[in-house]
Amino acid sequence: MSTVAAQIQNRKNADQTPVVEYRSIRKQYGEFVAIGSVTARVNKGEVVCLIGPSGSGKSTLLRTTNALEQIQGGELLFDGKPLPASKAGIRQVRQRMGMVFQNFELFPHKTVLENITVGPRTVLKVSEQEARKRAVALLDKVGLADKADKYPANLSGGQQQRVAIARALAMEPEVMLFDEPTSALDPETIGEVLNVMKRLAEEGMTMIVVTHEMTFARRVADWVVVFDRGNIVEQGPAAQIFDNPQAERTRDFLSHLGWDG
Amino acid sequence: MNLDWSVVWQNSGALAQGVLITILLTFCTMLIAIPGGIVLALMRLSSSRILSGISACFVEFFRNVPIILLIYWTFYVLPVFTDISFSPFGTGLLALALNVSAYNSETFRAGINSIRRGQTEAALALGMSHMEAMLKIILPQAARRVLPVLASTWISLFKDTSLVSVIAVGDLAHNALEIRAQSFRVLEILTAMAVIYWVLGYPQAKLVDRIYKKWGVKE
Ligand SMILES: Nc1ncnc2c1ncn2[C@@H]1O[C@H](COP(=O)(O)OP(=O)(O)O)[C@@H](O)[C@H]1O
Ligand SMILES: [Mg+2]
Repeated sequence: MSTVAAQIQNRKNADQTPVVEYRSIRKQYGEFVAIGSVTARVNKGEVVCLIGPSGSGKSTLLRTTNALEQIQGGELLFDGKPLPASKAGIRQVRQRMGMVFQNFELFPHKTVLENITVGPRTVLKVSEQEARKRAVALLDKVGLADKADKYPANLSGGQQQRVAIARALAMEPEVMLFDEPTSALDPETIGEVLNVMKRLAEEGMTMIVVTHEMTFARRVADWVVVFDRGNIVEQGPAAQIFDNPQAERTRDFLSHLGWDG
Repeated sequence: MNLDWSVVWQNSGALAQGVLITILLTFCTMLIAIPGGIVLALMRLSSSRILSGISACFVEFFRNVPIILLIYWTFYVLPVFTDISFSPFGTGLLALALNVSAYNSETFRAGINSIRRGQTEAALALGMSHMEAMLKIILPQAARRVLPVLASTWISLFKDTSLVSVIAVGDLAHNALEIRAQSFRVLEILTAMAVIYWVLGYPQAKLVDRIYKKWGVKE
């Protein structure tokens, strides 16, 4: 226990105000309890991975973060303040969070470049020229500078997901939310997306990542949260979770995935 | 039986004018009924119970009342109960626009609902309002899916405009039937009328087929 406490002490930016803090979050769909009571924090510059069996509430928690889902209990703090109740307030919060979806959700009627500029243009009222300039730089960053005028349908899954990351980054978010960003991809394109995410982490982006890519989580995550049936069974530094899991359920889950350390 | 086709040529001016009115009426009706349909669909899908209820009643009423009744009603009944009265053309336009708006609203609603929920969420996640998400992300995609259906509605409308002839709008059907009454050349005029509707309608129908091929839902 003392070693865990020490590791938590060593947690990145542990002394700072967390960017996102979940305090006893509860989420129900009607009678069904999707999240029982979840308490966790995400510090600035950290990569926090949410892992656990399918249906355990990972996506749900991620979606409560930017208020795509309402919570029924507990408190969710962003930048030290509870999520606002007003629609306008929630929009402001969403502008400061980027989200990447399992199915990319690129806008099929818009070119790659327009996909990236539409957010800043519409929401931040950035000028066309400025938005384009930023979009081109972002496309370059995700290695797709030559695809600016293509439509999403003409890109591979991995390319589409990289565009989706660029689209989210265009809003210059303070935290990025990823919901199984590689689960819908062909194996050969998973690596290119994970590499972009890894670079983003190295640049100091705060990231919350729901993933089944255990190698990625082990190498990139600062903190790992293990879910099971709507609750956290264990959380800690990646090294602890993967090399020395404390909870039975964590061990079961990892061995189920064929993780052998 | 002797046929005298000269009656058609002699009255070509009136027939041509009727064609123009028919096309104009179709065009103006759609010009009203497309935005009208969008507004009704957005009301129906809005979170406001009241707006959604009003839209539902409007649509279910005007979609299920025969157009011809609507035409008579606007022409004879409306002026009695209100001070509003329109020219025959205005009346025909109003009646058709009410009916087609109701139809288009259902078309747009289906189109909007056919767009994955994730698209709205992606737009909201960028910080857009529901309205911005609808206008910038959902409607443009729905429009593509809806286009073929709107095109078929156009074809039906083009033929249905003939119903306004009952209130003496000078459309193709009305003018043709007038000429028939004056000349007693029933067969010639009815044939000419059919040919004209067909000649105008067939290319439109072919165009719709092509629109279906090009834009019809594929995913
Ligand atoms: N909109 C919804 N309505 C009802 N139940 C839902 C809804 N979304 C998710 N759930 C349920 O909540 C539970 C958690 O789902 P989810 O967060 O998607 O799990 P995970 O992402 O860990 O696979 C699941 O049992 C799922 O069926
Ligand atoms: Mg999920």
